[in-house]
Amino acid sequence: MSEGRTKRITFRVQRYNPEQDGTPYFQEFIVPSGRGMTVLEGLIYIKENLDSSLTFRSSCRMSICGSCGMLINNYPHLACHSQIEEFHSDRLTIKPLPNQSIIKDLVPDLIPFFDKHKSIKPYLIRQDIEEMENPTAEFVQLPQELNTFLQFTYCIKCGLCLAACPTSASDKPFLGPQALAQCYRYCADNRDEGRGERLPIAGADHAVWHCHLAGACSEACPKGLDPALAIQLLKRRLISQALGFGKRQRPSSVVPPPTETKPKVPFPEFTAKETK
Amino acid sequence: MGTAYLRLVQLVTGVLVAVLLSIHIVLTHLDAIFGFFGVDVAEPTAWASMIERASQGVFVGLYVALLACGLYHAIYGLRNIILEVTPSIKTGRIVTWALIVIGVVVFIWGTYVPVALFTS
Amino acid sequence: MRQRQPRQNYLGPGGWVWGGSYKIERYLYLLHRITGLGLILFVIIHLVMTTIFRIQGQDVWEATMVFLSNPWFKFGEYLVVVAFIYHALNGLRLTLQELGFGLGRPTPPIYPFTDALRRKRPWTITMIAVIVILSLVILVEFVAGGW
Repeated sequence: MSEGRTKRITFRVQRYNPEQDGTPYFQEFIVPSGRGMTVLEGLIYIKENLDSSLTFRSSCRMSICGSCGMLINNYPHLACHSQIEEFHSDRLTIKPLPNQSIIKDLVPDLIPFFDKHKSIKPYLIRQDIEEMENPTAEFVQLPQELNTFLQFTYCIKCGLCLAACPTSASDKPFLGPQALAQCYRYCADNRDEGRGERLPIAGADHAVWHCHLAGACSEACPKGLDPALAIQLLKRRLISQALGFGKRQRPSSVVPPPTETKPKVPFPEFTAKETK
Repeated sequence: MGTAYLRLVQLVTGVLVAVLLSIHIVLTHLDAIFGFFGVDVAEPTAWASMIERASQGVFVGLYVALLACGLYHAIYGLRNIILEVTPSIKTGRIVTWALIVIGVVVFIWGTYVPVALFTS
Repeated sequence: MRQRQPRQNYLGPGGWVWGGSYKIERYLYLLHRITGLGLILFVIIHLVMTTIFRIQGQDVWEATMVFLSNPWFKFGEYLVVVAFIYHALNGLRLTLQELGFGLGRPTPPIYPFTDALRRKRPWTITMIAVIVILSLVILVEFVAGGW
């Protein structure tokens, strides 16, 4: 696999070892790279061949798990999604995501981030508690109703939006673009009846009103989610609720699952005839 | 829910301040604007025209309204900035009350002189 | 093994100014804050002048006016007018966009991804052009009217 790796790229990686009580420092590595090689592959090369104490998170290597978020050349990227060639540079500076504490090297502490996500109740809430806990039927949702919030369901919880947000830089209790966008995703879902519980959380202090439409979160999002749009739509919901107008969304009805099945299609006859 | 009302008033006072302040700037620079077109108007910042304006209720009303809207807009904005930098909830409450007190004091101070000149 | 606290890595208020190379709306927000604070400072000075110096009579008022016809103060007045124009027009844009108007509908993400602010960026650039043109017009007026 090393044929074609002709260029030598300098990886300037921020290191930090908590057990040695020091301050973060930079360490440089020379990585042979070629076409199609991602930053994550470069980091794995360093860990396998140059310095096995380098610590970073990675899992799926196809930008679906959201583990490998880091600051590459001062911009938040997913390491598995960024090719070395796209930076057009011989030097890459790699730092952990800002606005989240560092555990070691390039590993941020994502527990406060997940706590903020949990605090906005990211699950469907129905008035009929018995149906919610022991479901007997399906919720009806038309495709056009799904399209009003489908874009915001693709969140992989990678934390890049929180690293990009200027408000998150100084405001520690701020919920962050991810939690607020997911709050809108559940409020806009017509299967959900929990708006009364979720909207006060969004309208509280250090929540939606500290977003100032810098738009950096939507720029940094690797899945094209546009959290900025979700947050502005959430603000619109809060204000129309305060003023008293706005369409009253009827919660979706429940339909028992279909019991009749279609007739079975006969297996086509295509067994190969033996040539004599 | 109350925070949505505060934000809505912020937006409304923003529009009001933009309108009233534009009127105020145009009135104070009336001599420069009309001088551009060659028309001679009395200088608005001279003592005589200022006293004449201070005795008309329209102008006093304009200044008081401008001060009220501008103060609310500014205090809400300042509160947003300060709350983003202070970490705890208790400091947030102290900051909110301090800003409300400052706003009321500045409003009373700012309306005293126009009203005094109007009624004198 | 001792349990250690993770090391803090917040950018702080410096992160408002520079967090990386982002697009223009992030810096428009920063400029909105700076012009807001500048306008507050001006309002305080202005209130002091029109209350304390106005009520003391004609001599103090006219002495203040002479003091303020210094070219540096005239330039400061011009900066305040530009700050007001920027804050008002950007505030109008923020009012409309923060209420969700003029941002478009959620669309399913198809690579290469785009976002609502990028799609509406032509309007933002138009607004900036209007601000620049108005500032230049007012500059001409200030210079022509006597600096």
